[in-house]
Amino acid sequence: MPLLELIINNLSIKDTAESGMANTNPKANENLLAKVASGNPEAFEELINKYGNLIWSIARRYLSNQNEAEDAVQEIFVALWQSAGRFDPNKASEITFISMITRRRLIDNLRKNNKHKVLKSIEDSLSDDVFSQKSNLEENAEISLVIRALKKLDIQDQELLSLSIYQGYSHLEIAKLLNLPLGTVKTKIRRNLMKIREDIKRINTKVKHLYHG
Amino acid sequence: MDRKDKEKQILIELLALSAVEHLSFEDEQKLAQLLLHYPEYTKDDFAKTAALSQIGFYLMDDTANETLPSEIRNKILKTYDSTSDEKNTLPGFNFNSLFKTLIKPAYAWSITVMLTIGLSYSMITFKTYENNYRYLPLKRMVLKNTAKDLMNHPWYGKTSDFETIQGHVIWSHDKQKGFITITGMPINDSSLNQYQIWIVDPIKYLNPVDGGVFDITTSEKEVIIPINPKLPIFNARAFAITLEQPGGVVVSSQPLLLTAPKERPKQKI
Repeated sequence: MPLLELIINNLSIKDTAESGMANTNPKANENLLAKVASGNPEAFEELINKYGNLIWSIARRYLSNQNEAEDAVQEIFVALWQSAGRFDPNKASEITFISMITRRRLIDNLRKNNKHKVLKSIEDSLSDDVFSQKSNLEENAEISLVIRALKKLDIQDQELLSLSIYQGYSHLEIAKLLNLPLGTVKTKIRRNLMKIREDIKRINTKVKHLYHG
Repeated sequence: MDRKDKEKQILIELLALSAVEHLSFEDEQKLAQLLLHYPEYTKDDFAKTAALSQIGFYLMDDTANETLPSEIRNKILKTYDSTSDEKNTLPGFNFNSLFKTLIKPAYAWSITVMLTIGLSYSMITFKTYENNYRYLPLKRMVLKNTAKDLMNHPWYGKTSDFETIQGHVIWSHDKQKGFITITGMPINDSSLNQYQIWIVDPIKYLNPVDGGVFDITTSEKEVIIPINPKLPIFNARAFAITLEQPGGVVVSSQPLLLTAPKERPKQKI
């Protein structure tokens, strides 16, 4: 049973149920953004350690060269530090909040620079830390749900959504890249995003029902 | 499907689209209108799904194993430290004694009135600031800390009205970014005219390149304006400011008000 499997695999799912789509691992995330907002330098350093690789990886996929990615990542951390006080764990988890700010800043940068490149070769240094950080992120129940929803999409739909959301391509660019009509690209991306949202919502409701009767 | 269901369907579709792509002007208007009718939905509804999906794709991507380079990490920390230092060097203040004074009933009404006026004013100012000049001091600091080829030239007034104006231009050719700072510039009426920045790159372009328009709303404080060149700059020899019609012009025929050349101009005798 997928739902049961999900609950067994994810002990923190109860937190998801209790707080809607909110923070799923409060102990791990407790107060980091609040500490950043209060001007705690150690917390800011911890924020970089925790999310630096994620933000850097995504920035490299969005922007055409290292310099642009470098500027964007710095601007993102400045924005995170400036916005940390607005974080409300009842509305979104820490990582969702961070990812939303990252997306906004990268989209702004992309529009400003108006150029794009798919990163084919990774020149950056690789380290084992990245793998352990990635598995830490996977422990977040909200993210487990979204991965599950993404994997349910067929391969072409996953590719379309990845180009749009993960690599920052415009609908027009995707239409050209995949040789698809622009209307089809728009409709598919929109529908798949709606599907993912519904999927997450549905499981959340089921889990809530399971815990609260 | 009744009218309400149809409207909700359109609203959800527009929200989903807005999370991944810029909406057209008409769609933006339609979305704003529908959001007013259905307050249970918010503009960020799908932004959250898109943000989560972004992390989902990152975790599913086996090639996404890059580590944030240590030099960038250090630059971020340096920017953070220098801004914190600025905050920490603000003059000290005895908050306890101020608080004791302010809680006296005689002061309560006047403080309320002042706060209300202040809040209304700051909301108006903040709206403009958010749209146009968000984080500019920090963005300028990031450029200063990261650009290896930073140029820094002071402004020189070209007419008697502008001789006392203070400020400078910073520009990075590598990053194609720059900022101007000015203090004491006369306030303009944006319905009649706007200041326009020009970048002089004579080897590549016959005419100076448009660097964007801006308004001055205060002459008292230092103002930071980003330079937005409309063409790629190859060798910026000087920067200039003119006063033009609202929105600016492609080629200026107005007198130069301020210039910031690479070499200091000779003094008039």
